[in-house]
Amino acid sequence: MKHSYFLNRLLLFSSLIILFAFSSVAQTIKGKVDDYKTGEPLAGATVHLTQQGVNKIAPVNLNGAYIFKNVRTGPYKIQVNYIGYKSSQVYEGNISTTDEIKVINIDLQDASTQVAEVKITGQGNKETDRAARGIEKNASMIQNILSANTIKLLPDVTVANALQRVSGVSILRSPSGEGRYAIIRGMEQRYNSTLVNGIKIPSPDPAYRFVPMDIFPSEMLDRLEVIKALTPSMEGDAIGGVMNLVMKSAPNQFVLSANISGGFSSLFSSNRPFVAFGPSLNRQSPASINGNSYAATYSDFNNKAITSDKNMSTPFSSTAGLTIGDRFLDNKLGVIVSASYQNIYRGSNSKRLIPNAQPDFSPTPNTPQFSDAYDRTYSTQTQRLGIHNKIDYAIDDKNKISLYNLYIHQNEFESRLSADTTGLGLNSVAVKKLVTITNRSTLTQQSIYNSTLHGEHILGDEWKFNWDGVYSRATRNMPDRTEFSYDANNKYNTSGNLISEYNNNTSLTHHWENNKDQDISGYANLIYTPKIAGKIVEFSAGGLFRHKTRNAYYMSYTLKGDSTPYNNNFTSIPFKISNPGDGTGNSSADLGNNYSITENDNAEYLQVKFNILPKLQVLGGVRVENTDLTYLTQSAITISGRSGKYLYTDVLPSIHLKYAITDDQNIRASYFASISRPGFGEQVPTVIDGEYYTEKGNPQLKHITADNYDIRYEFFPGGAAQLLLGTFYKKIYNPIEYYVDRDGSSTSNLAITPQNALGNATNYGFEALATKFFGIVGFSVNYTYTHSRLTTTKLSYGPTGLNGQPMNSTVNETRPLQGQADHVGNASILFKSPELGLDMQLAYVYTGERLAQVSAYANLDFYQHANGQLDFSFEKSFSKHFSFYGKINNLTNAAAKIYLKYPHNNVKDLLQEFLGKQDIAAQTLVQSDYYKTLFLGGLRYKL
Amino acid sequence: MKKYIIPIISMIILAAVSGCQKWKGEHVDIYNYTLPVANAVSDKAPLSCSGGTTVAPIKGTMLSGKTYTVQDGCDLVINASDTLLMQPGVTLNMGLKSSLIVLGTLVSNGSEKQPNWITIPGITKNDAPGGFTPSADPAYSGKWKGIIGGPTCNLMVLRWTHVEYAGLTEGDATSKLAGSGAGNQYSILFANYKGNFIMEDSWLYGGVDDPIRISAGKVAIFRNTFEKNGVKGGDCLNAKGGTVGTMAYNLFVGTATNGQKASNKAQAIGAPQTNLVMYNNTFVSGGYRQTQSGRGGCINYEEGAAGMYYNNVAINCRFGYRVVGNPAADVAHLSYGNNYQWADVDSIANQFYPVGYITKPQITDIPSINTSPKYLPANYSPGAFYDGHDVVQKNNPLFLNFPLPAIGHPLDQYSAVGNFNFRLKPGSPLVGKGNTDIKPLIVVPLDKIYGLSDATPPGTDLGCYQLNGAGNQH
Repeated sequence: MKHSYFLNRLLLFSSLIILFAFSSVAQTIKGKVDDYKTGEPLAGATVHLTQQGVNKIAPVNLNGAYIFKNVRTGPYKIQVNYIGYKSSQVYEGNISTTDEIKVINIDLQDASTQVAEVKITGQGNKETDRAARGIEKNASMIQNILSANTIKLLPDVTVANALQRVSGVSILRSPSGEGRYAIIRGMEQRYNSTLVNGIKIPSPDPAYRFVPMDIFPSEMLDRLEVIKALTPSMEGDAIGGVMNLVMKSAPNQFVLSANISGGFSSLFSSNRPFVAFGPSLNRQSPASINGNSYAATYSDFNNKAITSDKNMSTPFSSTAGLTIGDRFLDNKLGVIVSASYQNIYRGSNSKRLIPNAQPDFSPTPNTPQFSDAYDRTYSTQTQRLGIHNKIDYAIDDKNKISLYNLYIHQNEFESRLSADTTGLGLNSVAVKKLVTITNRSTLTQQSIYNSTLHGEHILGDEWKFNWDGVYSRATRNMPDRTEFSYDANNKYNTSGNLISEYNNNTSLTHHWENNKDQDISGYANLIYTPKIAGKIVEFSAGGLFRHKTRNAYYMSYTLKGDSTPYNNNFTSIPFKISNPGDGTGNSSADLGNNYSITENDNAEYLQVKFNILPKLQVLGGVRVENTDLTYLTQSAITISGRSGKYLYTDVLPSIHLKYAITDDQNIRASYFASISRPGFGEQVPTVIDGEYYTEKGNPQLKHITADNYDIRYEFFPGGAAQLLLGTFYKKIYNPIEYYVDRDGSSTSNLAITPQNALGNATNYGFEALATKFFGIVGFSVNYTYTHSRLTTTKLSYGPTGLNGQPMNSTVNETRPLQGQADHVGNASILFKSPELGLDMQLAYVYTGERLAQVSAYANLDFYQHANGQLDFSFEKSFSKHFSFYGKINNLTNAAAKIYLKYPHNNVKDLLQEFLGKQDIAAQTLVQSDYYKTLFLGGLRYKL
Repeated sequence: MKKYIIPIISMIILAAVSGCQKWKGEHVDIYNYTLPVANAVSDKAPLSCSGGTTVAPIKGTMLSGKTYTVQDGCDLVINASDTLLMQPGVTLNMGLKSSLIVLGTLVSNGSEKQPNWITIPGITKNDAPGGFTPSADPAYSGKWKGIIGGPTCNLMVLRWTHVEYAGLTEGDATSKLAGSGAGNQYSILFANYKGNFIMEDSWLYGGVDDPIRISAGKVAIFRNTFEKNGVKGGDCLNAKGGTVGTMAYNLFVGTATNGQKASNKAQAIGAPQTNLVMYNNTFVSGGYRQTQSGRGGCINYEEGAAGMYYNNVAINCRFGYRVVGNPAADVAHLSYGNNYQWADVDSIANQFYPVGYITKPQITDIPSINTSPKYLPANYSPGAFYDGHDVVQKNNPLFLNFPLPAIGHPLDQYSAVGNFNFRLKPGSPLVGKGNTDIKPLIVVPLDKIYGLSDATPPGTDLGCYQLNGAGNQH
C-alpha cells in the first residue's frame, strides 16, 4: 500500500513537471484524471477549461482521459470537479504555438481524505471495479469480486442471479426461474457457505445449512466476493467456495440515492393469467394451537388460500430502493441506512414426465417407463424487503467500533396448478384420460436478521485486536400450505373432443412447516506484526464460538371429500378427516420430523503472513474446528435414533503462496483443508415427502472433508481490466450422496436417504477470466471447465433370475457430482460512455449439460441440457442527479430442458403419445420449463 | 538471522499441524432403544404397557378358552427370537389404538370348532345390505392398528381366526417399532421375503386401506372369507415385489378395490419376482368403494408380476380380471383361463375385459367370448371398447342364497356375507368347468400347526365352494 502511495506521488509530481516543463502552444489539451490515492481513473468527472472568459467542459471517459480540441492560443485555466472529491486546484498556463498538444494529468483527492484519517483500515468505498480489482490483486487468497458498480449495471436484482456472472459459478433455479443456489466450481450448494460482512449467517432452509441466495436484493451490496481458497482465519466449512456479501458501509460525506422501477413478465396474459391468492388465516396448525392430543376436524381449517384465487392478466412488478448516509461529530460517526423493496411477479410453464418408481426389466435391464405426465403452471409473487444499517464510531485514533444490522424478509406466494395425467398408457388412445387436477397455494416467509457489533483496537505499534459479537436469526414459515386435488375423468370422442367429465376423489391437504435457526457468536482476532530480520511478519491468532439453536416443525392433515363429485363448487364438498384419530398431532406420522438442535462450535487458528522473498508472500497456518451437535426429535422414547450427539474435531492446515512477477502480475498457489457439515434435516431421522421420493434422514452421516489445491495466474493491467487463469483440484472424502433405502423389505415405496459414498470424489478443472475495455466498449468473458467423478452403487432391474425372472441387483456407476456442469461461461459486452451518460450491458451466461436428478437405477439419471440465457440492461443519466435504467431478463425465452439419455424412439409404444415434441434422437426430453422474458425499468436519483 | 527465520516459522507451523492431528477426533452417540425382554403371557391382568412407553412385550402360549385383553394404545410386541402361540378358542381383545407387532413368530391356531378371535369387544355388526352407510359402519373405522409383521418376522400363521376392526394409521411410534410405514392403514402387514405368511380358514372383517398388505413374503392364503374390506380404497390382498405363493378358495364380498392383486413393485435385492397362483376364488360386488379412477374390482396383475389365475368367479364386480400394460405385468410368465363373470347391468359387462388394459379374452372364459357378434367382435383387441349387452345376466350361477340379479339394493351395498350363501346348487353352470391341471405354488412349510395344514388343489367347480364339500369351509 505504501508502495503504490509513493508511486502515485511520483506520478503527481511528474505530471506537474509535464505541466510546467512543456509550456508551448497547442490546439489540443488532453490528459488523464485519476484518484490521487488509488490511481483509479475517475470516469464521469468534469474538466472545466476557461479561456478569455469562455467556459468549455469535457467529460472524463472510462479510461480516465479527457480531451479539448481546437483550443485557442493564449492563457487558460483548467479545473476538475467530481462528486465526492475536492475540486482540483486551478491549473493555469499559456498556449502559444498552434500545433501544440498539451498533456495535463490531474489527480483528485477524495473529499474524505482531508479529515484526520483514523489509522485503522476502514471500510472505504469499494464500489468501483477498479477497487475490486485491487482487492483481488492484494488479497492473500484466491477470490473473484463483483463491485457495486458492476452489480448496479447487471440485469439482475437478486444476489443469486448476480452470482452467475462470477467466474466458475452457475446457479440452480427455483420453479419460477429465479436463481436460488450457487454451484461453485461444480460443487453444489451444500459445499458452499454464505457470509455477510465476513460473518456466517444461519439459513432459513428447512433442512440444510446453505442459504437461498435469492432472498438478498443485490442493490444492498458494496461488493460480492466469491472466495475460493480459505485461509486459517476463515471458517473452514466450505469446499466449493464462500460467498461473502459485503454490505454498504457509511460513506465519507452525505449520500442520498433512491431508485424506483416497474416491470412485467411477458409470460402472463389473459390466456395465461397470473394466479394470485390470499394466504390462509391459520398461521398455526390445529395441533400447535390446541396441543398434540386435540383431534382436528374440518372446521379447524381455513381454505382461503384456495378459495381466494384470482386471475391477473398483467401483474405489475415494482422495486424501490433508498440509501441515506452521512458522517457526524467531526467525521467520527458514520451512519448508513439502506432499504430495498421488491415485488416481482414471475412464473413458468412446466411439462414433466415422472419416471415410474421402478423401471421395466424387459426388454433390457432398467428400461425407462413413466407413470405420470405433469403439466404445471407456476405463478410466483415474491416480495422482498431488505433493510440494513451500519453505524461506525471512532472513539479515538486507536479504537473504533461499529454496529451492523441487517434484516431481510421475503414472502413468496406460489400458486401451482397441475394437471397430472396418471396411469399413462392404460387407457386407449384419445378416448379416456385420467387426470388429477391439483391446485396448491404456498406462502413461504423467510427472514434473516443479523446484528454484529464489531470493534477494532490498536494496542500498540505492533499489536492489533478486533472482535465481533453477533446475534443472527433465520426463520422460515410455511403456514398452511393448502392443496386441493381431484380426479377429472375425461372422455374424449374419436376426434379428440371432450365429451364428458366426471370429477371425483377430492382431497384437501393442509400443511405447516416452520423452522428457526438462531446463532449467538463471538469472534476475536489478535494480530501481531513485528519486524523480524527487517521484514514485517504478521502473526494472527483467534477464534470463534457459536451457539446455535434450531427448531423444525412439520405437520400435515389430509381431508377427503368422500364420494361426492366435484362440480366446480369447492365449498359444497363435505371434507373430513377419514379417521378422527388422524387429526391429532400425537398420531401424526410427522412427529419425528419435529426436532430441536443445539450446536456449539468453536474454532481456533494460528496464521502467519510474511514475504519469504521480496516478491513471494507466504500465508499459512492451521485452524481447528470443533463441532458439538445434539438433536432431539418429538418421537416416542421407544424409537431408536430419536436423539443423537455428534462431537468432532477437524484440523485444517492451509498455505497460500503469492508471487508477484511484476507489479501487476501475480502467481498464486494454495492448499487448504476444509469441511462441510451435513444438513440438519439430513442427519436427524426425519421422513419427508420429497419432490420425487420420500426422503429419510440418516443419523449415521459423517461430515465431509476435503483437500483443495489451487494455482492461479493474475494480470491486472489497470482500470477494470484483468486476466485470470487458474486451475484447481479437490479430493473429497465422505461425500454425501443420496441412495435408495430399502433395508428390510417392509416398504413397497422407494425412499432415498443420504449416505457417505464409499469412494472419495475428485473434482478438478480450470478457470479463465478476461476483461478489457477499448475506449467505451468493454468485453468480459469467463469460462470454467470442471470435471468431477464419483462412483456409487445403483440398482439394476433386469431379467437375470431363473427363467428370465426379473431381479434387482446393485451395480457401480461412475458419474459427475450432482449439479456440476463441465462447461460454464459468461460473456458480456459493456458500453460505458460518460459523454452520453449511457451504460449498457449485454450479458450471456452459458451452463453446460449437468446432472439434474440422480436416479436410484443405473443409466436413468436426468440431465439438464446445456443452455444459455441472454440478458440486457442499461442506465442513462439525463441530468446531474437522475438516471433512467432498464433490465431485461431472458431475451430469447431460453427454456430449461431435462433429458434422459435414452433414445426416445425406444420408449414403449404405449407411452409415445405422452412424450410430446422431442428434439434429440439419442435422448428423451422429460421436462421443459419456460419462463419468458422479464422487463424492469426505472429511475434512479443520486445526490 | 534472516535465513533462520523461515525454517523456524515453518517448523512452528509444522509442529502445530502435526500436534493438531492428534486432537482430530470424532465421537457419535445416537440414542438406541432396546425392546425389553418379554415375560410369559398371562390372562390375569390386561396386557399393558408401562414405563412411559407403548411397548408391551409378549411371548409364550395363550391358553384354550381364555380371553386376553390389551390395554388401549399399547403395542404388543413379539420380539425377534420369541413366539406367541394362541391355542384354539382364544379371544384376544385388542385395545383401542393398540397394535400387535410381530418381529418373531405368531401362530394363531384356531380350529373349526374353536376359532380364535383377535378383535375389539362390544361392537354391534349390521351386515344387511345398506344396514350402515360406510361412514357409519364401525367395520371401516380402524379401531386398532392391526397385526404388523416386521422385517424379521419369519412365520405368521392365522388359522380359523377372526381378525376384525383393524386398520388405524400406524403413526410414528408404532411404525418405527415395527420397521413399517407411519402412514400404513393395513389390518395385516407381512414384510419379509424370507418369511412365511399362512392364512387358512380365517375371516377378515373390516379395514381401512389394504386389509392385507404383503410387501414381500412366501404366502399360502387358503379358504378365507373377506368382508367389508377397505373404506375408500385398498386392495384386499395386495402383494408387492418378492411375494411368492398361492391364493385359493377365498371369498371376497364388497372389497373396496381388487380382491387379489399381484405386483412386482419394489422387489428387494435378493428377493424373488412376485409369482402368485390364484384359483377358485369368488369375488362379489368388488370395486365400488374405490373413489380413484382406473382401479380394479377382482383380480389384478401388474408391474412385473408373474403367475396364473384360473377357476375364479366374479359377480357384479365393477371391473373384470385385469392385466395391466403399464407398468406391465410379466405377460410372458402369466397365464389365465376358466374364469367366470356375471353382470346385472351393461356397465359391468362392458368392463369384463377392462377398457384400456391388456387382458386377453380366453376361449375357456364364461360367458363365452363367442356369445354374439358384439361379444366379442371379430376385430376386438385387448383394451378396446365393446358392447357387453349380450352377456348381461347370462349363466346364472345358482347360488344357494344370493338372488341374481341383485334385488332391492344398489350393488355397492353388498359388502358382507350375512345371511347369504354362495355355495352352488347342483346344475349351476359353474359346476365342472374348472381347470384341474394347474398346480398350486407351495413355498411355505406344510405343518398342522407351524405351517400350512391343507393345500387344497384346484377344484372342478368354479369359485370357492365345491359341490363335493371341498374348498371354503365357512
